[in-house]
This record gives sequence, C-alpha cells and structure tokens, in this order.
Amino acid sequence: MAAQPKPLPIFQPNYLEGGGLLGWLTTIDHKRIAVLYMATALVFMAIGGIEAMLIRVQLWEPNNTFLSAGTYNELFTMHGTTMIFLVVMPLLIGFFGNFMIPLHIGARDVAFPRLNALSFWMALVAGITLHLGWIRGGLPDAGWFGYANLTERYFSPTLALDWWVVGLLISGTSTILSAVNFLTTIITMRAPGMSYMRIPMFMWAMMITSILILLAFPPLTVGLIFLLLDRFFGTHFYVATAGATPILWQHLFWLFGHPEVYVMALPGFGIISEVLPAFSRKPLFGYPMMAYSIVLIAFLSYGVWGHHMFATGMGPVADSAFAITSMLIAIPTGIKVFSWIATVWGGSLRMTTAFYFALAMVLEFTIGGLSGVMHASAPVDLQQTDSYFVVAHFHYVLFGGVMFAILAGFYYWWPKVTGRLFSESIGKWHFWLTVIGFNVTFFPMHFLGMWGMPRRIYTYAPDLGWTGLNQLETVGAFVLGVAFLLFYINIYWSLRYGEKAPADPWDGRSLEWSVASPPPVYNFALLPNVRGRDAWWILKYGRAGSRGVAAYVAGQPPKPPEPEAPVDLSHVHMPPPSIFPLVVSLGVGLMGLGLIVGWYRIILIGGIVTIMSIIGMGFEYKDYGQAVHDPEHAPSSGGIDVRKVGVWCFLGSECVFFASLISTFIVYKSRSIGAPGAEILEIPLTSFSTFILLMSSLLMVLALAATQRGDKVWERIWLAGTVFFGLIFLSGQAYEFTHFYHEGMGYTTNLFSQSFYTLVGFHGAHVAIGVLWLSVLLVAAITGRLGKSRALSIELAGLYWHFVDVVWIVIFTLVYLMQTVHGA
Amino acid sequence: MRASRFSLLALVSALASIVAGCEQSAQLPMTTLAPKSDLGEAIHHLFLEVTAWDALIFVIVIVAFTLAVFVFSTRAGEAAPPSQASSDLTLEVAWTVGPALVLLMISIPTVRTIFRSQPEVAPKGSLEIKVVAHQWWWEFDYPDGHKTANEMHIPTGQPIRLRLESADIIHSFWVPALGGKRDVVPGQINHLTFIANTPGDYPGQCAEFCGLSHANMRFRVFVQTPDDFAMWQKEQLAGPATPLPNDQLAVQGAQYFATSPCTACHTVEGVSKGYIGPNLTHFGSRTTLAAGVLKNDPADVAAWITDPQKIKPGAYMPALVLPGPKLNALVAYLESLK
Repeated sequence: MAAQPKPLPIFQPNYLEGGGLLGWLTTIDHKRIAVLYMATALVFMAIGGIEAMLIRVQLWEPNNTFLSAGTYNELFTMHGTTMIFLVVMPLLIGFFGNFMIPLHIGARDVAFPRLNALSFWMALVAGITLHLGWIRGGLPDAGWFGYANLTERYFSPTLALDWWVVGLLISGTSTILSAVNFLTTIITMRAPGMSYMRIPMFMWAMMITSILILLAFPPLTVGLIFLLLDRFFGTHFYVATAGATPILWQHLFWLFGHPEVYVMALPGFGIISEVLPAFSRKPLFGYPMMAYSIVLIAFLSYGVWGHHMFATGMGPVADSAFAITSMLIAIPTGIKVFSWIATVWGGSLRMTTAFYFALAMVLEFTIGGLSGVMHASAPVDLQQTDSYFVVAHFHYVLFGGVMFAILAGFYYWWPKVTGRLFSESIGKWHFWLTVIGFNVTFFPMHFLGMWGMPRRIYTYAPDLGWTGLNQLETVGAFVLGVAFLLFYINIYWSLRYGEKAPADPWDGRSLEWSVASPPPVYNFALLPNVRGRDAWWILKYGRAGSRGVAAYVAGQPPKPPEPEAPVDLSHVHMPPPSIFPLVVSLGVGLMGLGLIVGWYRIILIGGIVTIMSIIGMGFEYKDYGQAVHDPEHAPSSGGIDVRKVGVWCFLGSECVFFASLISTFIVYKSRSIGAPGAEILEIPLTSFSTFILLMSSLLMVLALAATQRGDKVWERIWLAGTVFFGLIFLSGQAYEFTHFYHEGMGYTTNLFSQSFYTLVGFHGAHVAIGVLWLSVLLVAAITGRLGKSRALSIELAGLYWHFVDVVWIVIFTLVYLMQTVHGA
Repeated sequence: MRASRFSLLALVSALASIVAGCEQSAQLPMTTLAPKSDLGEAIHHLFLEVTAWDALIFVIVIVAFTLAVFVFSTRAGEAAPPSQASSDLTLEVAWTVGPALVLLMISIPTVRTIFRSQPEVAPKGSLEIKVVAHQWWWEFDYPDGHKTANEMHIPTGQPIRLRLESADIIHSFWVPALGGKRDVVPGQINHLTFIANTPGDYPGQCAEFCGLSHANMRFRVFVQTPDDFAMWQKEQLAGPATPLPNDQLAVQGAQYFATSPCTACHTVEGVSKGYIGPNLTHFGSRTTLAAGVLKNDPADVAAWITDPQKIKPGAYMPALVLPGPKLNALVAYLESLK
C-alpha cells in the first residue's frame, strides 16, 4: 500500500499538453487554472510596477510637472488596488494555492473544479473592469482604501469610481468562492493518513487564509454595496448631512482590510515554511507552534482594525484596546520568525535562489514587523500614520515579507509547474538587485516619514529637506525595475532554454515532489498513503530519515520507492471540461458594464446570460461532485460530504454579511433624521410572517425525513408546503414594503428607511433564492428524480433554508421587537 | 535588564541625534523628531522608548540569523547529515514569553500617553480655536470672532484646544512639530489639545487624502510669545485697513473689489460677506497664499487670481481674466489689507 508511483506514461503525459485554446478556456483542472492566474497576475504585476516607477519619477524633484495631480492620484490608486487584488492575492491564492493544495494533501483536484474555474474568470473580469476607466471616465483615483465621503458622486462625479466599486465587488465574490472551495478541499480531500497535524505548513496557511477570506470579505462587500447604492440610487450611507457618518466606511473597510493583510501574509509565511526546511534539509522547527500561531494571528486580526483609525478620534478607551490587541499580534509573529531561524540552524544548506529569497524575507519582514509595533502604540502612530513612515512599514511587510515569499515560491515550485528549471545565475542577479533596489527604495521612506512627508502627495515644496532621499528612492525603484525585468527574462529563458526538471529537483519533503514535473492531469495515479509529516521525505528515507540522508551526502541520490505493482489507471476519472464558468463570468461582467455606462439592456442581457448559464451548469454533468474522488477511498477525509462542507463554509461567510448589515441598521436607526422611524413597523403582521417562516423550516425538516425514508408522496407534499410558506412570507414582505411606501417611507427618505429596506430587502432576496431552489427540487421530486439516494440535495437546500430563517429571527428580534421596547 | 535598556536608549538617542544633526544641516521644518509642544514631546519620548525595544529585538534576530546561516550550519554536501530535531520546548517558551514581556513594557506607557493626550474637556484657561477644513484650505475661527485662513497664530505656554470640523470631506490636521494628527471628519467634532513651548513658524499639511489638490492643502502655525500673540490678535480684531488716499492703485482696487465677483465668496469685514472662500480681512498680513503654496507677494497674488487651477488643480476659485491695470489695482488693494 505504501506504493508511491513514479510518474506513469498514460493517456495524457502532463497537464500542460493538449486541448488547444479551447482546452484552456474550458479547463477545470486546478493546475491549468493556477497557470492562468499566474499569467494574468504577471501581466498586472508589470502594469502595477510601471505605475510605481511613474510615481517615483514624479517625486524626483519638488514641484515636478512630469505628471498632473489627477494622473498621479490615479496611479497610486491603481498601484495599490492592482498589487493587492490583481497581483499578490491571485499569485498566493490563485496560483500557489490552486496548484499546491491538491498536490500537498494528496488529492486529484479541488472540491469544486468548475467553481474554481468560475473564480478565475471572475477575477479576470474584475481585473479588466478595474482598468476600463482607460476607455471611459478615467481610472479610479480615490486611493485603494477609497475613503468615503470623497467617493460620493458629489465629490467624484466621473465613472472612475464606478469601475472601482463594481470591479472590487466582482473580485471579492471570486475570492470568496475560492475560499469556499479551498477550505472544503483541505477539510474533505486529504489523502488517507494526512491528518491536520501532518499537512504541510503551507496548507495550514491556506486553510486559515480561506477562513479569513470567508469572514473578512463580507464587510467589504457590504461597504461597497452601500457605496454603490449611494452613487447610483441616491441613498446617504456615508453622507454626514443626512446624519450618517463617513467613518462607517472605515470600520467596514478595515474590518476587511486588516484581516486582508494576513490574507496576503499567511500564505507568504506558508511558502517560507516550505522553502526553508527543503533547502536546510531539516524539518520545520516547532510545527505545532507554527500552526497555532497562524490560527492565533488570524483570530487576533479581527480585533485590530481600529489601529488604522487612531487619528479619527475614537476616544482613549478604543485607542487603548486596539493598541493592545495590535501589539498582541507581534507574539505569534515573533514565534514564526524565531522558528524559521531555528529551522535553518544546524541545517545542511543548499544556497539556491529560492532559499536566498526565503532567507532575505525573514530579515526584511522582521523590519516591517518591528515598525508595525511602533504603529500599534497609538500616540506614536499619530505622528506616523499617513506619512511615508507607513509607506515604508507596509512595503517591508507586503514587499519584503510577501513579495519575497512569492519570489521564493516561484523559484521553488517553478520546476514543478513548468517542468523547466530557472537559470540560477539570472536568479542570483535578480535576487541581489531586488534586495538592493528594495532597501534603497523603501528604507529612506522611514526617514521621510519622520521628517514629515505625508503620503499621497503628488508634489512637495523645495524647502522641506525631502528632495535628496526622494531622489535616492527613485534610483532604488529603477534598480527594482531592472530586477523584475530580469525575473521576466528568467521566465522567458526558462521556458525557452531551461533545463528539463526532474520530478524532485530539490530533494523535497512534501508530496508534490513525488509526481512528475509537470504533474499528470490526475496528479496521483494512486492516492498516497501518508505516514507522517513531510510525507514524501518519509517515503524516500524512512521515518528517521538520517540513514537515507547519510547516503545522499555520500553522493548517492535517493531512490524513489518503486510501485509494488503496475498501477491500473482505469479507475482514475477526471471530470470533463466546461465552458459555463467562462460564460457566467462574461454575464456578470456585462451586468457591471451595463450598470456603469447606463445601458440597461446590457444589464438585462448579462443577467439572462448569467442565470441561464448557472442553470446550464446545474444540468451539465451530474457527477461533477463525485468525479474527482477515488472510489477506493472514503468520500471525505473530514467524514462530512464535500458539498455539505461547501455550503457550511458559504453560510459562515453569509453570517458576517448579515452581521454587517444589521450593525449598520442599529447604528443608523438612532442617527436617522425625521420621520418615519421605528414606529412605522407593525409587529402583529410581522409576527405572523415570522411564524409562517418558522413553520416552513419545520416542513423542510419533514420533507427531508420523508426523502430519507423513501416516502415519495410526503416528500412532495412537505416540499410544496415549504415553498408555499416561503411565498406567503414573501407576499407579506411585499405588502409591508408597499404599505410603508404609501405611508411616505421611500427608499432614500432617511437613514432609517434606507438601512431598513437594504437589510430586510437582502434577506428577502435570500428567501426568494431559497424559494427558487426549493421549487427546482419540487419539480425534480414530482418528475421522480429525487429519492432516497439523492437526499443530500434536499439536505443542502434545507441547510440554506434554515440559515435564512435563523437570520430572520435575529432581524425580527433586533429590528422589530427591540425597537418597540426602546421606542416606547 | 534595566541597564541594557538604558544603554540601548543611549544608543538609540545617539543615532537619533545623528539624524537630528543631519536634520539641522538639511533644514527639516516638518520633522517629527524635534517636538515643540508637550504633546509632541510625549509622543517623541514614547517613540524613542518603542524604538529602543525594537532595536533590542532586531539585534537579537540579526545575531540569531547570522549564527544560523553562517556559523551553525553547513553547506549541502559538505559534512554530516543535518540533525532532524524539530522542537525545543524551552526555546519555544522563551521566544513566546520574551516578546510578550517586551510588549507589556511598551503597552503601559502607550496607554498612559493615550489617556493623557486626549482630555475629555478643555484644560483650564485654554484658547479654543475652531478649525474648519475645506477642499483645499484651512479656516481658523478665534473665540473673539476674528477669522483667518491657512495661517494660525497661537501663544506659547497656554493650552490650545482645537475644535476640528469639516466643510466637505475627511481631512487630517497635522503640524509635525506640535504633535500627532487628528482627522477632520464631516458630521463629527474632534479635538486636539496641546501646549506649544517654543516660538517659531511651523508648517503643517493635510494628512488624509482629500482629492485632487490634497498635496496643496498646506498651512502654517505661528507660535508666538504671549505678548506678540496679544499684539497680533489686537490687529486682527481691528477692521480691515482702508487704503491710504495717496495709494491711488489700492484705492482703485478697493473700488473694483467691492463690485467684483470676488465678493461672492470672500469676506472683507465691512465690504463683503462671502463665506465660500477664505476670509480676506487681513489678507496682507499673511505670509503665504493659496493654502501655503505661494508666497504672499504681488506677482504670486496676480498669478493666483489669473489662473488658480494652474497652481492648485481643482481649486473651486474661478479664474478671473482682468486687464493688466485692473489686476494690479486689485492686487495692490489686497496687499494693503494688513
């Protein structure tokens, strides 16, 4: 059973070959999708880098007129937005995550391959949308953080920010879908024996990152939806004169934004935790502590968003609380840095470019971490925030930490991805120029910040003493530019002339090195049987490892274990390609485009395309869910069905979505100006519809029970009942809304009305989707397509339905009931 | 522990004084490292303390890293196989507890400074000035009724309580020499409290991105001795200077100004009541123009009136195309408003 097959020549030699252009457009192979992510991110990285260099040219001298104020603002906005949403996240999550998750845990693909393709195409549509301002309206120019109320239509009248809002909404959705997918994959598709304490540290990072995304992106989505409503439909979510506060945006944005820092940092930490052991020929030091520190960082990252807002006047109590939680994050981060050093200590080091980048990351990131401790001290931060000191800090974290980790990952995994080796000599040049260029560009920014230079200024006066360091930084930026040019040259060189890579060029430790470079479509002919951490290392050298290593040091490369018998590949069953993910994304893109330019027919066409292709996806191929599973193993390593875990992950994210809407309602109802207010709400009517909705949950339970015992008659009756009760609830809501409207409560009347309609409306939309979902199941039940074997379909719909009901109970309590208590 | 802490503090202050030395030779009027108020000093002190702890940790990391990479490791193929050890409880506890203690040492003065620097009510005897941020200029309203723009005068030794309000979007008030930033948020009133201790002329700038001309939203704070301040205030409280009869140009300018479109937005006490743009009653007494971007001299004033957008992109002041003599008269009048 310990058979670890060497690569087998079968129907497709490797994942890169065959299929032509259509093959790439319709691919649902996680490795191809990863390569697509990488290719687009490399294009956007070039754009973002050029933007940065233009910024540096403008700051070369005081009162420079190389760029106009408007262009400069567009450039720094797009540099930030591009690097975060279109470069770093796609590379870490879309490329490394996608490629490595199945290979690291010993699976054939991710849990939901078509969803994975959908994530990529939506990310691409988002990236293009963000750049459409070139054609009309101008590029977004309010900063990547887009602080309200500068972003209101009154202050930013062009289409620029519309592209930004819609682009980020699409990008966020794509990221959430990826997170659902990856979290489900790691929970349910680990190979036999691959327990949580045996998965590579990069998998811990990806698992926790996925959780971070699920819980952190909804506040951004809600913030963007409010902005969209303000800009297009005349609400006043961020308008102070209506009683609202623009600070709401900052809370929502940083509630997303700080976890987002760790969404970028944790996968970077994960990569370093793979690269350092591999080239030190030692196991990762302190594996359990490393895993727990990732969890702890993620947990703490939800409690620190206020440290971006020390200057907004939150008051001394909030300032102190956020200062202390922010400092606490330094503890698990310190554990990581010291454990990395301990990993290298006593190792037998192989000084490759990948290892260079990983080692440099440890030091550069430490500098960024330490200046972060300064910002955590709120009074100190008041001098440093929004100055170049902060620019230095986060570039040491995001470039010195994350980008160095990405480059380490590139040099480490490139042979596996492409089957070719990089040129080590170009690589070393790339490394040293990057280190020099990076430090020359960003270290002086600490001093410029301390000398009072604010961020985001396109020009400065000559008598402030800032000129010299700015010129030094610009020189550094161009050195960095040359370094990255070398990187692109190395990519070209490698693809064109690079030496063919063996399966295991670095004498690696984890399972990806056990398969061919590039891997076959199905990854593993036989799913590996994992007997410990560093699964591949143990297979090569045995558990203790040292004897095998001794042989290696003596000059005998390890002999990969031979398969015990020829592997039968007939059971390997990979799902067929699908065009629908691409079509759905196009539909979504059309809807966004139509909304922004005001061609409502295009919205309609986009909507029809989206809905039709989602339905098409549903009927395309019924076994997608099971296809990538190996029938000889249990369907799920977590013991729960893959789709169920997926729905749970999604619902977790939805909780935060509704929590954000509900909190906004509670804050804004007390700030609302003029009538109508809570007194308009009618408790008796709503109590009745609440009762109906609760009863529908009961019917849902009965329907599932009927299905599970194979009772086709009652299955149909209870399902029909659930749908009927759902419809009654919706009618009640429709009646309530029309009634309010006639009483004079329009959508944009005041803060109360707009936050009420938005919250209750989004819930109503969820109920409507549930009713649709259940109706489809009802049709399936009537036509006899359901039944005992497919009870899971009903269970999944039921999960969603119960969740929507629970949300309603919370809304009913907080919006309707508590209102009357206080309003008396 | 204490001794090492002090030696580190000494090391850091040595480094800081080198930096400060560079600073004096290079003239850094906006530096945060030479605080001129009690708030600035409290922050600076805390900054040095945190920096000292950071330096300690950084030295430890550097030493450990250097030993790990260059001393206690071999190169591939050189020697015996590496140890496969992967944990050490004592070490792991040490590098968890150690940083935690350091953070405790940082957090205590941090919280103390937070509470000391944000008094809920104005200290006794404080001068309360209302600061209104506009896209892209600053308005300063003094309690006895006079207003100025882009140049704030305050006395040394008296607590200053700034009441920060915004006329449009979020800005941030920052005078590095006088202490940290405080955001200016529409619909919310923020305060900044400090005592300036050294007379001087300190530049400030908006620190929160506020649109097209964010970089051009500068201002100056003149810290004066109480006597000088009292004198300045007396001048400000007086009405605007009327041009001397022998200053023909200024007299013409005054006549023109009274009927010009300028009056729609600008106030000159007794002459006009516009409120969209800066109050010009004592325009001639200011050293700068256009939120600290230009010097207040006739050539710059003329250039500003003729094409404000060229100097400050997006500025709401419309360009005023005037024939030369009229422009000169207007400038002469404005400059006469001492």
